[in-house]
This record gives sequence, structure tokens and C-alpha cells, in this order.
Amino acid sequence: MKYIYLIIFAFSIVSCNNTPYVQGKRLFAANCANCHMEDGSGLGELIPPLNKSTLLGQASMVCIVKNGIKDTLFKDSTYLLKEMPSFSHLSATEVTNIINFINYKWQPSFKEITILDVEQALKTCQ
Amino acid sequence: MNFNFLGIAFLFLLFTACKNNQQTLPFLGETIVENGKEIHHKVGQINHYTQDSTLLTNKDLEQYIYVADFFFTSCPSICPKVAKEMLRIYNEVSDNPNVKLVSFTIDPKRDTPERLRLYAENLGVDHKKWLFVTGDKDATFELANTFFVAAFEDAESPGGFDHSGKILLIDKEGHVRSFSEGTDPSTTPKLIDDIKLLSESYNTKGK
Ligand code: HEC
Repeated sequence: MKYIYLIIFAFSIVSCNNTPYVQGKRLFAANCANCHMEDGSGLGELIPPLNKSTLLGQASMVCIVKNGIKDTLFKDSTYLLKEMPSFSHLSATEVTNIINFINYKWQPSFKEITILDVEQALKTCQ
Repeated sequence: MNFNFLGIAFLFLLFTACKNNQQTLPFLGETIVENGKEIHHKVGQINHYTQDSTLLTNKDLEQYIYVADFFFTSCPSICPKVAKEMLRIYNEVSDNPNVKLVSFTIDPKRDTPERLRLYAENLGVDHKKWLFVTGDKDATFELANTFFVAAFEDAESPGGFDHSGKILLIDKEGHVRSFSEGTDPSTTPKLIDDIKLLSESYNTKGK
């Protein structure tokens, strides 16, 4: 009977360590973390934090990732480095995985988005 | 009984004394012996302008130990990561007046003092504590070598420059005493410890 706690404990450790979005995690580390940082905290007022982004949970985040972004967040100020490069080479599946990973990490009320959501959102990008 | 106790106290003293000795930082780079005197490697000539457009030379840094890195503001690859670690160090040493931070741009064409000033403001750091400096490009590349940082123009690299993300600790005499890899946050705590150690070594020397 005592063992059951041990098993539950062991299980919770294993499951906590496992991100369901393995590809998203890997792609984030390879493409995004050098600017937005591993912990999503960004860099001062040079690079916005992702862990507090208002775009968390929204499929429209895909537009920024696919097309890059320039001078929007920091408009009307003298900020530097206002540019994020585009990641147009990433496929819809890859971007979906990245966005799900970001949301999973920093959006408590996380709801998984699908490739369909992402493809839909892509049509609305300016 | 008394004797034993003394013996233990003595051993303890010896032990802590040894430990203290081990805690002086090494001199990095080549050490040559001239006329029986050891001469340690020093960093090269600094002749740069800060974000306040004032000239900075080695002499201005003689009263400080400083933490240096080589970067450029439009760097899309490793620089933000290195800057984050520099910022971490900056926060650690903010109340130690003996320590400065110096970031050398390797892209002086774009990184004018005004631009460096903007960069520093965006980071939210004190202009007197953390100097961002620009100077002659080739001289800066050569200077980087004396900090054991490889920097060169490379069209293939993101942003057009290739350079390593090392963060270096320089003592008041211009010797390189420690370094961390700015791209690897796990190496930063050791450098922070080394900064404290080096700073304290001047306090005890009464300099
Ligand atoms: C070269 C540095 C850099 C890289 C690499 C980078 N970003 Fe960005 N990112 C920025 C900057 C700078 C901004 C702000 C741009 C602006 O608004 O002007 C930004 C903005 C964003 C935003 C909008 C944030 C908000 O709250 O409005 C999101 C989302 C984002 N990035 C996600 C990503 C993802 C996902 C990746 C990896 C695929 C990535 N970024 C890679 C620099 C970068």
C-alpha cells in the first residue's frame, strides 16, 4: 500500500519532466531562445518577453513567426533592434509545435492549437 | 587535552590559510620571465569612445577591475544571450564601485556612440558603470585577440561578423584573470565569484 505513493511520486516526476511538445521545444531552443531567452524573459527593452506576451494563446502569433516583425511593439519610441527576422522556412507543423510549446510553458490556461488553426490564421496575416 | 585542542586549532588555521592561497586567480595567457621578473600577458591598447562620446583608454581603467565582452548592436545570433549574462553580472556588482563593465562593438560603422547610448538605455543600465565603446575596426579586432576573443568579418555569419561570446575579467593592471562563456549561463556564477575574489584581493592589499 505504501508503494502506491512512491509510484505516484515517481510517475509525477517523470511526467513533469516530459514536455508534450518535444519538437516545439527543440525548435524554440534552436531558433528563438538566443533572443527571447530560454526562460522567455527577453532582454530589457530590446527584445520583448514571450512569457508575458499578450499573444499567448492566440494562433495569430504564427504571423510574427512566419513573417518576422518590425517596429510594431516598440513604435513611437527610440528603441533599437526593433526587428525580428522572419522564419518563413519553418513549416506550418513546425510553427504549430513552437506555438504550442510556448503556450504550454507560459500560458496557464493553455489550450492546444491545431495546424488548421494556424493555417487559418496564416490567411489573415497582413 | 589542551594540547590536542591547540593542535586541532592549528591544523584548522593551516587548512584555511591554504585554501585562501589557492583562491587567487591565475594569470591567463603567456607569462614570460625577464630579468628574473615574471611578466604576465596584458590586454592591448584601448582607444575607444563611450556611449557618452568620451575617450576611454587603458589608463582610465587602471583604478577598476572590469568585465569585458565583444558584441554589436544589430547582432541577431549570440549577442542577446551574452548581453543577458552581462546584465546578470551588472546586477551582481552594481554596489561595488571597483567594478566596471566594458562592451566593445566590433561593428563601429553602424555602432556610433549615439546608437550605443540607445542600446544602453534600452538595457536600462547606468552609463558610468557599463561602458559601451566604439573605435577603429581593425584596432578593435586586434584588441579582441589580446582578450582571447576571436573577432572577424565574415559574410557567412549572421550579421556579417563572427566572434566568440566570451566574457572576460580584467584586473587593474590589465591582466586577463578569468572568463566565462556568455552563451552558457551555467558558467556565469563562477565568474561572479571570481570578480568578488579579485575585488577583495585589492582591498586586502590596501590598494
Ligand atoms: C534576432 C532576435 C530574435 C529571434 C531569433 C526571435 N525573435 Fe521574436 N522578437 C524579436 C524582437 C526584437 C521582437 C519585437 C519586434 C517589434 O515588435 O518591433 C520580437 C517579437 C516577437 C513576438 C511578439 C511579442 C509580443 O508580445 O508582441 C513573438 C510572439 C515572437 N517574437 C516569437 C518568436 C519566436 C516563436 C521565435 C522563434 C521561432 C522568435 N521570436 C525569434 C527578436 C527575435
